[in-house]
Amino acid sequence: MAGGAELIRRMAGGDREAFTRFYDAYAPLAFGLLRRLLGPEEAPDALQDVFWELWRGAGEYDGSRGSPEAWVTVRARSRGIDRLRSRRRREEMFVAPLSEAAADPAVDPDATVAERDTVRGVLGELPVNQREVIELAYLGGLTQSEIAARLRQPLGTVKTRMRLGMERLRGLIGSRA
Amino acid sequence: MSENHEPFAELAAAWALDALDGDDAARFARHLAEGCDECVRALADYHEALARAADGLREPPPAAARAALLARIGTPRRRGRLVAGWAASLALAAGIAAVVTASLVARGYEGRLAALAREADGLRDQLAAETATVADLQRRLADGERALTMVRAESEEQARTLALLGDPATRVVTLAGLSPSPGARARMVWNADRGGVLVASDLPPVPEGKIYELWAIAGGKPRPAGLFSVDPNGRGSLRVAPIGGVTTVDVFAVTLEPAGGVPSPTGVMYLASKAA
Repeated sequence: MAGGAELIRRMAGGDREAFTRFYDAYAPLAFGLLRRLLGPEEAPDALQDVFWELWRGAGEYDGSRGSPEAWVTVRARSRGIDRLRSRRRREEMFVAPLSEAAADPAVDPDATVAERDTVRGVLGELPVNQREVIELAYLGGLTQSEIAARLRQPLGTVKTRMRLGMERLRGLIGSRA
Repeated sequence: MSENHEPFAELAAAWALDALDGDDAARFARHLAEGCDECVRALADYHEALARAADGLREPPPAAARAALLARIGTPRRRGRLVAGWAASLALAAGIAAVVTASLVARGYEGRLAALAREADGLRDQLAAETATVADLQRRLADGERALTMVRAESEEQARTLALLGDPATRVVTLAGLSPSPGARARMVWNADRGGVLVASDLPPVPEGKIYELWAIAGGKPRPAGLFSVDPNGRGSLRVAPIGGVTTVDVFAVTLEPAGGVPSPTGVMYLASKAA
């Protein structure tokens, strides 16, 4: 099994077989994020757009600047956030994305983080109040001021928790890599 | 670095999460544009860390998404198991016929082998063509499913509108015209949990490069609540999403802003409700 970086290199040369294998290996990673950000109806469409972009943009991948996992998740998240925010801007949704997010146990802002069992892996190693702000941003697509309003916490508190949580995540992967 | 870097370290963490609000985002974008190796390094680390976090959230996507995507990039040779099984049985039937025919006309062993090779090529092409047809059908099915999803969304939206009107917490707020257009009027049907609808009339036409922006003012802070234009009769309407964390809006107001909208009001106010 070729590594992700090797598959991307071959995709850049137009190798569709490599793309298929890349998709099978990385689509679940992107889809987990998109489903949480956008819900089950829009996520498959967004997933196709993301992988279409990855296929077209494979030549721009630079392995020295990040892993294939980071390449995929940054693109997926950025495309997901674009869709989420343009949906809000167009005011097409009668109920805010926040309310949709609330229907998803993974990002339910009204449940305390500790009650959720869907959070696995590295996020689970953060203190609850840091994990909460990071999840609301990363999986709920909220900005810092939106998170502050939602949690009824001062903006400064949210900023500090986010910073501490991200530093901690950064330290965790450093120690495992 | 002459400037204290600490504030940017905090901004970088939120930038990696796309969580910065307008002013902070602009400030950090400027900082990045000026070139900061420390922040570039931090962002790369944050992205790796978030990718690791996302790893715990993996979910298999629907098979239709894969089929549609592969059809889009044109990989007819890749196929799902069902398709392969179906196409292969057709191919097998055709293949047996071909072998029988070939064996009748072939003089020698080599001739039979060559014929078999040709038949195999033909079958491969046939299989590829059939797989492409199936991929096309899958794409059309995916399109159909998408259309169905949209229709469902529309009917859900109508149900939400009915629910909004039937909710005792829904209130109707009247907005009166201010000095630039004293004759303008608007009505806002508003529910903190469900959002609402603004209907405005007798507003002046929107000048080139401008748009009307609705504001929900709560606790003295205006929050952008959407953009709208007006028709030649000065009428406009807007659906408004609930505003995160705001349960009581004190005032709704409408200003004229640059097209695309702004995060906080800069233009002349055309409509405002009385403070609640």
